[in-house]
Amino acid sequence: MMDEYVLIACSALVLIGMTSAILHRDPFDKLISLSILIAGIFPFIIDRGYLDVAAATALIAPLSTIFILYVCRRQIA
Amino acid sequence: MIALYVCAGIAVYAAIRIIAERNTMRKLPFLNVVSFAVTGIIALLLPHPLTILAAAAYFVGSTLESNAIASTWSGGIKK
Repeated sequence: MMDEYVLIACSALVLIGMTSAILHRDPFDKLISLSILIAGIFPFIIDRGYLDVAAATALIAPLSTIFILYVCRRQIA
Repeated sequence: MIALYVCAGIAVYAAIRIIAERNTMRKLPFLNVVSFAVTGIIALLLPHPLTILAAAAYFVGSTLESNAIASTWSGGIKK
């Protein structure tokens, strides 16, 4: 079970990712910050026992990142 | 229980290092460190047989994600 230290650490991950995603200008830095945010929400899903939801989310969230990467791909001269 | 605390501490430390780093290429190894630490938290949090499946799915997905970001940032094969 999740006690208060792990809860504070995962909340800190979510808040760090959110603040960093707001403040950065480069789209790659924004994607890295979103990845921190998604990493922070997984222990909360696991703690309630929704293991199938966590497995599905872990496979769907990188797909959304890859689709955003197609948009912000560098133009190769 | 101490292993869970160690994993949580490593995750928060690597996230702070990602924020403090200016170069985008140097952020990406610390993103991998965050992914490994969160995988450890997931695997240690709940004693259930399906937990290892969720942890393996998150490990594969997050490694794929960070490597996709890295390869797109570096720009592919130079012609």
